[in-house]
Amino acid sequence: MRKVFSVCLILAGLFMVMSNAAFATDELKIGIMVPTTGSEATYGKDMENAILLAVSEINAKGGIAGKTIVTVTADDACDPQQAAAAASKLVSENVNAVVGGYCSGATLPTLKIYGDAGIPIVLTAANSTKLVSANPGNTFLVNSTGDDQAITAVNLFKQKGVKKLAVIHQGDGYSEDLAKLTEKKGKEAGIEIVAMEVVNKGEQDHSALVTRLKSKSPDAVFWTAYYADGALVIKQLRQNGYMKLIAVGDGSNSPKLMEIAGKAAEGVFCFSNPTVEYLPSAKAFGENYKKKFNQEPGPYSALSYDGMNLLADAIKRAGSADKAAIVKALKATKDFNGIAGPIVFTPENKLARSNFVVLVAKGANWELNK
Amino acid sequence: MTTDTLVSRTTGILGLIETHQKTLLVLFLAILIGIPAYANNYVLEVLANTWFYVILCLGLNIVVGYAGLLDLGYAAFFAVGAYTTGILTSRFGFNFWLTIPVAMAFATLAGVIIGGPTLRLRSDYLAIVTLGFGEIVRIAARNLKITGGASGLIGIDRPHFFGTELNQISHYYFVFLALALLAIFASYRLQHSRLGRAWQYVREDEDAAEAMGINRVAIKLYAYIIGAVFAGIAGCFYAAKMTAISPETFTFSQSILILLGVVFGGMGKIPGVVCGAGALVLFPEVFRGIGSMRLLVFAVVMLLVMLYRPQGIWPAQKS
Amino acid sequence: MSNLDIILQQLANGLILGSFYSLVALGYTMVYGIIKLLNFAHGDIYMVGAFIGFSILSVVSGILGDGWTGIVATMALSMIAVGFIGVIIQRIAYRPMLQAPRLSILITALAVSLILYNLVMSITDGEFKAFTVGLGYEGISMGEVYITFTQMVLVSATAVLMTILHLFINKTMYGKAMRAISIDQDACRLMGIDVNRVIAVTFFVGSALAAAAGVMAGVYYGSIHFFMGFVIGLKAFTAAVMGGIGSIPGAMLGGLILGLLESFGTQIPFIGSEWKDVFAFGILILLLVFKPTGLLGRTEIERM
Repeated sequence: MRKVFSVCLILAGLFMVMSNAAFATDELKIGIMVPTTGSEATYGKDMENAILLAVSEINAKGGIAGKTIVTVTADDACDPQQAAAAASKLVSENVNAVVGGYCSGATLPTLKIYGDAGIPIVLTAANSTKLVSANPGNTFLVNSTGDDQAITAVNLFKQKGVKKLAVIHQGDGYSEDLAKLTEKKGKEAGIEIVAMEVVNKGEQDHSALVTRLKSKSPDAVFWTAYYADGALVIKQLRQNGYMKLIAVGDGSNSPKLMEIAGKAAEGVFCFSNPTVEYLPSAKAFGENYKKKFNQEPGPYSALSYDGMNLLADAIKRAGSADKAAIVKALKATKDFNGIAGPIVFTPENKLARSNFVVLVAKGANWELNK
Repeated sequence: MTTDTLVSRTTGILGLIETHQKTLLVLFLAILIGIPAYANNYVLEVLANTWFYVILCLGLNIVVGYAGLLDLGYAAFFAVGAYTTGILTSRFGFNFWLTIPVAMAFATLAGVIIGGPTLRLRSDYLAIVTLGFGEIVRIAARNLKITGGASGLIGIDRPHFFGTELNQISHYYFVFLALALLAIFASYRLQHSRLGRAWQYVREDEDAAEAMGINRVAIKLYAYIIGAVFAGIAGCFYAAKMTAISPETFTFSQSILILLGVVFGGMGKIPGVVCGAGALVLFPEVFRGIGSMRLLVFAVVMLLVMLYRPQGIWPAQKS
Repeated sequence: MSNLDIILQQLANGLILGSFYSLVALGYTMVYGIIKLLNFAHGDIYMVGAFIGFSILSVVSGILGDGWTGIVATMALSMIAVGFIGVIIQRIAYRPMLQAPRLSILITALAVSLILYNLVMSITDGEFKAFTVGLGYEGISMGEVYITFTQMVLVSATAVLMTILHLFINKTMYGKAMRAISIDQDACRLMGIDVNRVIAVTFFVGSALAAAAGVMAGVYYGSIHFFMGFVIGLKAFTAAVMGGIGSIPGAMLGGLILGLLESFGTQIPFIGSEWKDVFAFGILILLLVFKPTGLLGRTEIERM
């Protein structure tokens, strides 16, 4: 037993050194919470880059009321436990506000941590409807939530004369949420849901499921989860002779879907939040992004860029770096025009309009559906 | 410095530690209790997480280290505790503290259900069965309505302790520290109890133990149940701290992570397991850049430990 | 779709899925038969096989094209390469542990599995790779039942590999030595059999079969990723246990039965696809508890 004490003594000492973090400056400190490691790191880095680009532009124009913005990035690794640590890190760094949030599951437990500290947070990608009900009042969603996407989806199905719909999700919070919402909205619109199925992440053979689906003869199949497994489902549906409508949710908005599914993906519909290539007002942003980071912006870059600019705008309107004042200013947002469109919040602090667009797969790319 | 002087100095220090063991213990505890007065939230969060994994690793250590059974679905017991608290407080309005005995009962039940029919199996089959049970619990949590489906439960109430709402990270630092100390104490007592010796006997020579009148199935079942109760209690407080739980926390990799902590420090050795748990939590925080390679690094270390130092990193007891 | 159509289609689906399970299950059962080790890493060997096949194909397709010639060459090369990886793993990780307690060698196998899994994850950045080959969807259709030529070739290839394996085990000296070692290792050593060499050959053959399955999966499904081995590893283990672990015909049979059970299982009304894995794990647990010897296994009394 005794050796453990000596080791722990040293460890304890290390922590004492680590823990003296006291900053007193006239800077504005903004926390960025995104996954920079783990399976979702690519998206997280796309978001971080966009936020950093916005910050450098604001600082180049002299900052906000003479104060320059500094950022601290905390990695949530798309994992609830690491996200709680990341949120605590930002709280102890005394940030004035936080922007980011990709994985809804990891973001959920952090809302309370920020809420307890009174820190405003602008969520630029995470969009589970649970985030709305878990909101302690300081959270603002600039991405439309799942129910908006479900409405967009059901409208398309109605327009295409779909009477029987099959929905497939992947058993995670995001895709299940979207599937359940679509089921609800679809039923309200008179569409019969003939199948509600789950595909486990990483499984490759879906032929048995495809046969089961076909036997229920749906007019459309809606895949609510991510592109990687979605491509396999689409491929096997087409391979087994299912030739009717297939649609996918915003998690599948990636050219990789076509790469994996090949010609089977042709004509598949996709509901997507506004990404840079479909936004006329985001042209300059896209070019600057490419110049600065030497890569294309990711699917949530435009919204992250807007989120940071919105925050800057709110701080300017609040006239101080006081957290409560920023929350108030964010709530009062009226005529903020982002590159992804205007932002106004509902009383629940979620985006007041649906920002979803419908895309269709043509060759190796997505195109806007007209 | 030559090796000789190093050795003599080390033994000198060790001797000093030995003579002042009680004083050092008190001093060390004082430091642990004093940390929240100086440390920021981030450090407290990381430390609270460390204590949390100490509890889980010590619980699994009873199964793997003491009884010598490979359990690949330990996260299931942790899930039982977390979901019991989550469901009872958010859906039935239970007081948090009342959910703990219920969670302990459910964890016991889960231990009996998993252990009862399977403990007669060979060790490799047992490993696969526990893995299967772990996955079944996770999938059930994902599919059932009462557990909130794939998005899990949100808005779990924070407990009150003598009128104070436990809503600060420093509160949880103390909660998990107290639980970890309790777990260390319980493990220590168990190890030196009659049951602990029976585990050791069965682990070393099952047939001889049985010939001496030890009921091997019963004592293995005790190991399962006690291990499950440790995880169940940890789960209750996890739910209270996070206020939101979802099935993705209770995956196979969570079970593996806990097992890594146990094997890394040295199966069956309390200080070793404590250090293993610490390494699990601190590694990704200290090495941010390669944080995503945490499991790779740990797996390599685990292989090396098994090949060259099967007794773990922590030095063997001299006695 | 008529009921007959559904039955026929699910039969075809089950056989194709079952051939993958059988190929992977063979590796489990061979290694288990000879050194009584549950090789946790075997599912990851399958995954590594797919990735090595992917790299080899990108070179080979330049020379032989991405049609069947290129695919067969890729498969052969991947089988050899992964076979040697299996031998290296056995040499480094398992051979020193053969006399160690059961728990230690199990943890070692788990460590090897984690290393392969996380290594491939770091190398590929966790991304999916599109395994593009020049095969179409042409096939035969009877009513609403579709079977592509690719599917037919894959099932035949499995049959060919299994026949070769059967001949190898029953007609060659190495096969005889393998069977002898699984009965009594010490006696074999006394009879002058190079036990370590035979164990290495066993790992080579088992890993090569997993690699063949991995490449076939890449060709057939069109995408590969680092966690593709986890689920199939568990399922193939179930298949091996179902057939009787240690028994080679048992693994082949177990794989096909599990494939058919799964595809027909999806037709069971009232139980949605979200419970599919619970169904598979439930079968495994019940089997292990009530019939651990499986269909074709030998009765064996042993303690850890």
